Amino acid sequence: MPIQFQRTDQGDESTLRIAGSLDVLTAPELMPTIDQLVEEKRPRVTVDLSGLDIIDSSGVAVLVALYKRVRAVGGHVTVAGARDQPLAIFKLLRMDKVFSI
Amino acid sequence: MAARPTIRLTIPGTLEYRAVAVRVVAEACRMVSAPGVERTADGNAYDLRHPFDAEFVSAFAEIFNNIAIHAYQRRAAVDGGEVDIAIAVGAGELDVEIRDHGKPFDIDAVSTPDLDSLPEGGMGIHIARALLDEVIYEPGPPNLWRLHKQLSPSPTTAATTSAGTSA
Repeated sequence: MPIQFQRTDQGDESTLRIAGSLDVLTAPELMPTIDQLVEEKRPRVTVDLSGLDIIDSSGVAVLVALYKRVRAVGGHVTVAGARDQPLAIFKLLRMDKVFSI
Repeated sequence: MAARPTIRLTIPGTLEYRAVAVRVVAEACRMVSAPGVERTADGNAYDLRHPFDAEFVSAFAEIFNNIAIHAYQRRAAVDGGEVDIAIAVGAGELDVEIRDHGKPFDIDAVSTPDLDSLPEGGMGIHIARALLDEVIYEPGPPNLWRLHKQLSPSPTTAATTSAGTSA
């Protein structure tokens, strides 16, 4: 199952929609986009996971990296729309509280 | 597990083949959690709506990652390392045995990650242990993983209503 992602900007807010599978194979594809968001010091980043079907620990790791790096340059990260398997994994790893899901 | 119907699969121990194994395990999970129920029309998405399926597949995928990355050190494509998978479907339970000929490791040395520190690694074994009833590892060669899970009468950890969507 491949990954699909898209970044859209509106004012101070960037939305990163991730769909499909975020896993050990697909997570590296996100890195250039994350690098850009950090480099541009985007004030608000919303990660929309409503289209995400499955995630593994590598996928979680890349979201944690996004969260840490955007915050480190003064930005705020919100994760929205997680459901089913990804939501269960976030809860298991207690990321649901960090991401305010 | 000899008395039960067993699905056997041998695939290269590389991440590129992970999806093949995951799909087979996902289908075996469905035989336990929803026997006789037709799958969704969307053939591209894993059908992980049932928590049993989502939890078993999540755990299995982490173990497969571990084998490809750590046991075979991402060299299975070069060295020819394979993974043998035996999936025994039971009434209300699933057992999966996974064998590899990669580097063994000390599973007792794997500690529970400090989740409060927002770790960016070391979560795979924790996920597998948390989601299955039994995760047994016997260092080899061959290294052997035994995964077991009973179908719970009252699912608790994942939503069961929303449909999976295509990637």
